Amino acid sequence: MTSALDLAVWSSAFAMVAEEMGSVLIRGSLSPNIRERRDASCALFDANGQMIAQAAHIPVHLGALPEAVRAVRAQGPRPGDVFLLNSPWAGGSHLPDLTMVEAIALDGANGPEVCGYAVVRAHHADVGGMSPGSMPQGATELVQEGLVLPPVRLVREGVQDEELLALVLANVRTPDERRGDLAAQRASCTAGANGWRALIQRHGRAAVEQAGASLLDYAERRARARLAQIEGATSVAEDALEGDGVSEREVPLKVALRVHDGALHLDFAGTSPMVAGNVNCPIQVTRAAALFVLRSILDDDVPTNDGIARPIVITTPEDCCVAAKAPAAVAAGNVEMSQRITDLLFAALAAAGVDVPAQGQGTMNNVTFGGRGWTFYETLGGGQGASAKGPGPSGVHVGMSNTRNTPIESLEHAYPIVIERYALREGSGGAGQHRGGEGVIRRYRVLEPCTVTLLTERRARAPKGAHGGGDGACGENLLNGAPLPAKCRRALQPGDVLEIRTPGGGGWG
Amino acid sequence: MDVGGTFTDRAALADDGRVVAHKVLSTPGDQGEGVVNSLDGLAARAEAIVHGTTVVTNLLLERRGARVVLVTTAGAEDVLFLRRQDRAALYDLSRHHPAPLVAREDVIGVRERLVVRAAEPAAELLGAGHGAGSSQSALVEHALDSAELARVARETLARDPEIVLVALVHSYADASHEQAIARALRAARPDLEVVTSADVLPEIREYERFATASAEAYSRPSVIRYLDGLAARLAAAEQPAPSVMTSGGGMQPAATAARHAAALALSGPAGGIVGAAAVLAALRAMASPGATNASGATSASGAISASGAQALREFADALTMDIGGTSADAGLILGGEPLVESGGEVAGVPIALPRVLVETVSAGGGSIAWIDDGGALRVGPRSAGARPGPVAFGRGGSEPTVTDAQVVLGRIVAREMSGGVSLDVDGARAAIAALAKRLGSDVERTARAILAIADAEMARALRRVSVERGVDPRQCALVAFGGGGPLHACALADALAMPSIIVPPFAGVLSAVGLALAPERREAAMSLLAPTSALTRERVEAAVESLSESLGRDAAQRSASPAPQGDNLLSNTAERREPHPRPSRPLQPATPRPQASEAQRTFARMRYRGQGHEIEIAVFPGDDGSALATRFAEVHAARYGFTLPAEAEVVALRHEAGEPARAVRFEREDDPASVIGPATVQLPDATLYVADGWRATPLPIGGWLLERR
Repeated sequence: MTSALDLAVWSSAFAMVAEEMGSVLIRGSLSPNIRERRDASCALFDANGQMIAQAAHIPVHLGALPEAVRAVRAQGPRPGDVFLLNSPWAGGSHLPDLTMVEAIALDGANGPEVCGYAVVRAHHADVGGMSPGSMPQGATELVQEGLVLPPVRLVREGVQDEELLALVLANVRTPDERRGDLAAQRASCTAGANGWRALIQRHGRAAVEQAGASLLDYAERRARARLAQIEGATSVAEDALEGDGVSEREVPLKVALRVHDGALHLDFAGTSPMVAGNVNCPIQVTRAAALFVLRSILDDDVPTNDGIARPIVITTPEDCCVAAKAPAAVAAGNVEMSQRITDLLFAALAAAGVDVPAQGQGTMNNVTFGGRGWTFYETLGGGQGASAKGPGPSGVHVGMSNTRNTPIESLEHAYPIVIERYALREGSGGAGQHRGGEGVIRRYRVLEPCTVTLLTERRARAPKGAHGGGDGACGENLLNGAPLPAKCRRALQPGDVLEIRTPGGGGWG
Repeated sequence: MDVGGTFTDRAALADDGRVVAHKVLSTPGDQGEGVVNSLDGLAARAEAIVHGTTVVTNLLLERRGARVVLVTTAGAEDVLFLRRQDRAALYDLSRHHPAPLVAREDVIGVRERLVVRAAEPAAELLGAGHGAGSSQSALVEHALDSAELARVARETLARDPEIVLVALVHSYADASHEQAIARALRAARPDLEVVTSADVLPEIREYERFATASAEAYSRPSVIRYLDGLAARLAAAEQPAPSVMTSGGGMQPAATAARHAAALALSGPAGGIVGAAAVLAALRAMASPGATNASGATSASGAISASGAQALREFADALTMDIGGTSADAGLILGGEPLVESGGEVAGVPIALPRVLVETVSAGGGSIAWIDDGGALRVGPRSAGARPGPVAFGRGGSEPTVTDAQVVLGRIVAREMSGGVSLDVDGARAAIAALAKRLGSDVERTARAILAIADAEMARALRRVSVERGVDPRQCALVAFGGGGPLHACALADALAMPSIIVPPFAGVLSAVGLALAPERREAAMSLLAPTSALTRERVEAAVESLSESLGRDAAQRSASPAPQGDNLLSNTAERREPHPRPSRPLQPATPRPQASEAQRTFARMRYRGQGHEIEIAVFPGDDGSALATRFAEVHAARYGFTLPAEAEVVALRHEAGEPARAVRFEREDDPASVIGPATVQLPDATLYVADGWRATPLPIGGWLLERR
């Protein structure tokens, strides 16, 4: 095995390749959601399909990427193949997240072989379906949400399939933008493949593979060392989503946590079956949430790779909204269910005596506009929960998202929308010895007829304070001053004003 | 004069081009004192004084700047506080971003609003007329009336600000509202210093523009005080007024620099890279056919190989590595010049101004080695700094550092320490032995592993500055300097498969040498936002002409009035200088160029329609839009591996004019033999470690060339 002395060296080498991938993607892409908000993630996998390194971007992407590579490997990838996929039943998360997986070719003794995988997941602003932006409210089947892509070869042994690309572009509302973003995505894969091959050429394949395996083992050791501190802990936590987009009936979640023999057992018995609306999520999103929660109680320097996931054991009932199966709709599962699972698992850890922050805003506040010839998607930050260390950060993404904002100037330049107000939401953070972080106010005035779709949460159940701290303020959605439901779709006329007030974080003490 | 934490370095450039270097202790209370002290011993009055300063860096780090009142568009008062919405650390949920430079109660909203729209971009862009900005003209959504102006002026002055920042939404496209407010404020209080965001950085993206402008406002009063004080001290010492190195690698008269304070944030590191570029130029001149004695003849004992001489002639692209006590700075020289880009953060404050590319990692001689809870050996980011310092320095340090590992491996030896520091070799060995024991390893192996980890961090920084910019490190030389650079050079070159290393003369004070050589540079820019199809050759020429004229006016004004106020030299847009395509223009030898000929160059910032990041493309005489589009596509393909079937657009043009660089003559005074690794060579202010497999050859200009044997 690679010696303890060399781990940090390898960790830097792998992380650097993943960072290069991210840089190529952001500089080359067209849509504001990728180039400004960076709603995208890049990672490198070894030949066995284990994630070795990632560029630190979006937690919900990264934890779910191993499933994408598993799905691609099941297709018998040839060296130089590049797969495109988004099906939640075959490695995807929700349909707008188009994921590209390149089987990295390496010349071996018997011709080219696959020596690893470069993976790029990016949230595209439209992939077709029943509403512009492909983040519909009220969908009940996956096919309503957009074009479904099982793992298909966009590139066969180095040659791009232009017909397949034409098929994809024919099924989306903004084909030129998609073409550009997909080109940047492929360039990012190429950068990853080149970086990986360069490492192998320099150190030899065996050494690189050995180093990757050792880094996985190392991250697992770090995770198990942390879990050992709470060996024997058991707890139960419950929470709920505020409706599935079809009805406003709550969707209950429950988890039993047990730390046993250095493993983190999470049993979701008692969690709702699949629901009619699109807040269901595939199991890989649930795994991503569990990985994120465990990762965030580790020290900041632990490399994030598949090793951390090894001690996590998840069980769910057969019919369960956090382990959705075809033909369920899932668009909001990736963004909102994932946040609620995160809150649930942090609550279970707190009940087991782990020192975690009070609840953050617990939603991504998904706002999607669509008009003639344009679609625009963004998510909004809010308050983070306060902790023993201090007040909660304000106006940031919490949990499974970490996208940036769309600059007012870029947004107004590109779309017929004026941002009348973009501000911290004063007083929304929960009271306490340490205050919760403040939410955000974002007021849009539209200049053309269009539709807006909202997928939001924590509009009725406030982010909870901890150790006696007060709750954060619930979020609010307003159209021309009148309240809107948490999840809805509305036609807007020029001059209409939509105001989103995002939740504050819980206070502490 | 390069002011560092411990030493102020002085490099004097004599009339005949010779360099004389000198070190004095820094004076942290007022850097200027050290600067003036360092002039002691100069034979004559200096003709010009160029200064690299850490005043801005330090006040940003220590948050000791001015109290700034921010006047901004109502509804956008929190832009600085919302930042870009991403959190400070992905997994550490309690971490906060560094606080903005303006207090929230010092923000005043003004009722006005401009909107810029490209709703039907094709029609609008194609119809774009002539001159700057016509295609992105702003619509007045809410006019700024005189009652509002009066209210804002009243409320602003009531807070008794040290300086006011006016930063409005969309001012990059139309600064008239910002200027009207600035005028109203100056009319109400004539001595009030006012900064407008479009004057500092006329670029889209409000957060980056406001933040950069806030750094300007926050720093400016201190910088004015500091430079005024320095000028007075120098005047008292009968020395000329100073010029200051900017982050962009040019120098400006102090009076101008004081009003471009944010452009001084990386003044120090920029000097080192400019110095490295000067050394490379001297090498090329030396090795070029026709110059005296390329291979071998000048250096009596260590002949440079034929391939080495060939390499020297071609030294136009290089990576630089400047290693100090707490950090290492990686830089890139392309086509003989430091790469200049926009962007980056200093002390958590985004400053989106042109700067010599520097990638800093916290790995230096003082970085501490430790074992984490997963059992892995780690190095840094904690540093023992100058105090208590490495164990080997015997100033109270108890934790093993990179320097201690060097000492244990015999790469720094006792007699070689300058300043009379005696080395505690046993202490260093004991500290590393304690680590080795916990790792189940021996002392030498652990020491080597500590160096390997520090090397990996530094190599990563070198790769970031090169590979990410489409530059292959295998085609570059490594220029290693600073106190620690020559110690790590071989390992870094091995890690990146770089063929050769240059350890420059004056390796320990190269930043000061760079300052002495820095050319004065002026820039002008205009935003264009036009598709290449709309750019005729005449239109490009007219634009370049008008930029050139505005630089000429600038220069004229400057010579007319020695202290121009609020001019706009550095405010614009340099994203990057391109490695591709580099037409086969002959390399400029560093022989003195005629003083009269000013180098003028133009660059176009280009992107595909819809992209958010631009690439800077060289503009040559006779270019039209289609020539630019072709060149852009080549560079885009080289960098990103693809082109798009979309039209390219020119976002802005940038024109620069510079005085020729000062001529320098590097000469070797000693006559050492070549050195075969492994071996150490003591330099005046640093130690060179020649690793196994390497040969070091003394260069006729001083310093060393290292090649693999």
